[in-house]
Amino acid sequence: MNQDVVILRLAVRLLYPVILFASVWLLLRGHNAPGGGFIGGMTAVAATILAALSVSSQAALDRLPGGAMRLAAAGVLIALLSGLPGLAVGAYMTHLWATLPLGFTELKVSTVLLFDLGVYLAVWGSLGGLCAHAIGLDEDSP
Amino acid sequence: MAHDEPQAAHGTSRLGWLALVPAAVLLLAWWATAGGDRVLVAAWPWIPSLGISLAFRIDGLALQFILLIAGIGTLVFVYAAGYMAGVKQRLRLFGALIAFMLAMLGTVSADNLLLLFVFWEMTSLTSFLLVGFKHEKAAARRSAQQALMVTAGGGLVMLAGFILLGAIAGTYSISGLVATAPNWLDHPALPLALGCVLVGAFSKSAQIPFHFWLPNAMAAPTPVSAYLHSATMVKLGVYLLARLDPAFHDLELWQWLLVGFGGLTAAWSMLLALRERDLKRILAWSTVSALGTLTMLIGLPGAVAPGAMAAFLLAHALYKAPLFFVAGNVDHCAGSRSIDDLGGLATRMPWTAAAAAIAAVSMAGLPFSLGYFAKDLIDIARAEGGVFVWAGYASLMVGAISVAVAAVAAVRIFWHRNGRPVPMQIHEAGWAMRLPPLLVACVGLAFGLHPEWLAPLLDHSAIAMGGALPSTVLGVGTIGLDGLTGVAATLGAGLVIYLGWDRLHRMLERGFPLIDRVGMVAHYERLLNAIPALASWSTRWLQGGRTSGYTLIAAGGMGLGLGAAVLLALPPVVLPTTDLPIGTAPALAAITLGAIAALVARTSLLLLLASGLVGFGSAGLFLFVGAPDLAFTQFTVEVAFIVILVAVLLRTGASRQTTAGPRRAPREMIRAAIALGGGGLATWMVLAGLSGPDNRVLADYFGANAVPEAQGRNVVNVILVDFRAVDTFGEIAVVAAAFLAVLPLLLALKRKKETPR
Repeated sequence: MNQDVVILRLAVRLLYPVILFASVWLLLRGHNAPGGGFIGGMTAVAATILAALSVSSQAALDRLPGGAMRLAAAGVLIALLSGLPGLAVGAYMTHLWATLPLGFTELKVSTVLLFDLGVYLAVWGSLGGLCAHAIGLDEDSP
Repeated sequence: MAHDEPQAAHGTSRLGWLALVPAAVLLLAWWATAGGDRVLVAAWPWIPSLGISLAFRIDGLALQFILLIAGIGTLVFVYAAGYMAGVKQRLRLFGALIAFMLAMLGTVSADNLLLLFVFWEMTSLTSFLLVGFKHEKAAARRSAQQALMVTAGGGLVMLAGFILLGAIAGTYSISGLVATAPNWLDHPALPLALGCVLVGAFSKSAQIPFHFWLPNAMAAPTPVSAYLHSATMVKLGVYLLARLDPAFHDLELWQWLLVGFGGLTAAWSMLLALRERDLKRILAWSTVSALGTLTMLIGLPGAVAPGAMAAFLLAHALYKAPLFFVAGNVDHCAGSRSIDDLGGLATRMPWTAAAAAIAAVSMAGLPFSLGYFAKDLIDIARAEGGVFVWAGYASLMVGAISVAVAAVAAVRIFWHRNGRPVPMQIHEAGWAMRLPPLLVACVGLAFGLHPEWLAPLLDHSAIAMGGALPSTVLGVGTIGLDGLTGVAATLGAGLVIYLGWDRLHRMLERGFPLIDRVGMVAHYERLLNAIPALASWSTRWLQGGRTSGYTLIAAGGMGLGLGAAVLLALPPVVLPTTDLPIGTAPALAAITLGAIAALVARTSLLLLLASGLVGFGSAGLFLFVGAPDLAFTQFTVEVAFIVILVAVLLRTGASRQTTAGPRRAPREMIRAAIALGGGGLATWMVLAGLSGPDNRVLADYFGANAVPEAQGRNVVNVILVDFRAVDTFGEIAVVAAAFLAVLPLLLALKRKKETPR
């Protein structure tokens, strides 16, 4: 693809963190409003696609924390482990909740959020990596 | 037949101390069951919904097997410590032996068919490791694979039989099965279930037509052969038959199959023994023959047969295991197992020769030996069961060749001079290898002189099989004139065979190539070669590399299935009357436009964009009918989908490709028909689903419980991450695995592009 679109490249420098921020926001609000791990993860994939199209697939892959494969594996592992605390009170994947007082507000933390984070990372790592590699097929090698 | 292990005849591995494990099992089993007077029962639930429990039951029959497994096991461990001394990876052998022994103990004490199956297949797997121990040799690998294919494959057929049997009887409990048998013996599906179970038992116990794997498994190290292939594992099939016999022994089919196949195996495999020159293989064929005799005894009606079976089982283990040990010693010390190379070893290996002689007396069935005691019982059982005349001659032949085999193992290689000097460097084996054969053989000798010592054990075992040990055969001095005549006839015939062994061998070698061509080994090879042939054939036909072909198969298959379901049910369809919000109009327009564009598009890229329009239209529709989560998902997935496909299309150059050929070609029409049929069916199914009564149980449940139970107001997300979290976990695992699978393909495509052609 055309790699000399200067405006797009500049825009991506700004847009990439914004999209990622939006994806995390979607992840966090998911339990009570539209959103969640999968949608958040797919939004992050959109950021990766944008980076791959405007800069290079390698640059997009490098921006995946830990690399695509490790990111996906970490997601699956986090989701797997998030069910373990539930064993203490009942069955596997019985989710636990706690409220952290922060002074000005209070934060609800839970193993559900951990599970959704796992979904988010697995989707981002797998599909982000897949898209970036697929886009890489059409690039000329540097 | 050259010996290929390091010569460390006098070393002993410290791993031999592991023999204390089976020894402890032996004492524990004897003490816990009070010598068989007590039946031990224990059960824990495992999968109660399927009626599978961890149920164990140790009665007389199980105890006899446990004593054999642990008793012979103890000496096998001691023997292996000498035999494997200095061999690399001997730790692995001992580990596999322990695992095998535990699996064996589990199999014979399980009281649930499916639990028994699990242990059964564990013995197959561990025996695969043990037979293939010398894995750097191709012959060992092939033998291990053959043993696994035959026994584990037979085990799978047996599982089908078990499930069928469980369905017929309504229980998987073996004791329950035996207790309720009269209620369901006339079930029409019972012969099928029995057939499947027999395939499993026959394959494990090397009955015709599965007999060929056992002699080939002699590629295993000798301790393994002595343990698995003479004393324990191959008797599991016999054990299963004996276990189930009380339930089925009145069935004529059961009797005929067991007596027929058992008798045939006993006779045929003895003939095959005459063909061999390898001492271990000769012994292996005689083991197959003994297994056939055991199978036949189980099938015989009458009250004596179970006692005879128990006695012969024990006698066989007590003479065959030492003979295998002897073969191992000879192999180890003289460097060969071929009876052509061996002779006059008695002066160099006196201990081994003594063990061989004692064991051979029992095998030949000479008076005052355990073998005689067992044969006596077998004759009574046979007379009582009324076996046909030819079986009498067959048993004479089996007995005679047994005598000849015993003479070959004990006399020919040790005392026969062969006209050649015995090499000076041959020496006796170490103590760890000298003692086990002598000890087992002497135990057999003691029991032969005092069969009354065995009476309680054999009696308990026979009672568990629904019979009893006749009191008349116990004690010394019961040898009547009939018995002596029989022994004399067998001995005489055996002597003739022994003297003419080489001549018989040459005769058989001329005749057998004809049989080999149609024999079971040839069939097995053919089957094995057919598997890759079938795979490449189906790959050629199903996966020709054309995407349109794959789509046709997938869509056509789904259409056929759905069509059949719809035609069978013919669900009523009521057109829905819901009013759609006006905002959905642009979305519906986009879907329609995309669909029409897809129909007229001539290039792949255009086709892709058109289908993308359909996807975005659907996402918009979701947004307006109250499914924002679904809409979000659809939007993001659609973006990723189009980007990936465009990238791949550009890469492969398919983007510029137009669909070839005139539009009216018949192929085009077929595709149109499939598309219309599939789309129509799917629409019908959806409409039919909507027309039914509105079931809101799940919706109400999730709606009511999302906040109190899972503290979330987004019900879709709550279902995904909480109520159905394990499903979701499975899905992300699949996504990650799919990525791992696709990645190498993408990298290969990339590499192909970078390397100049």
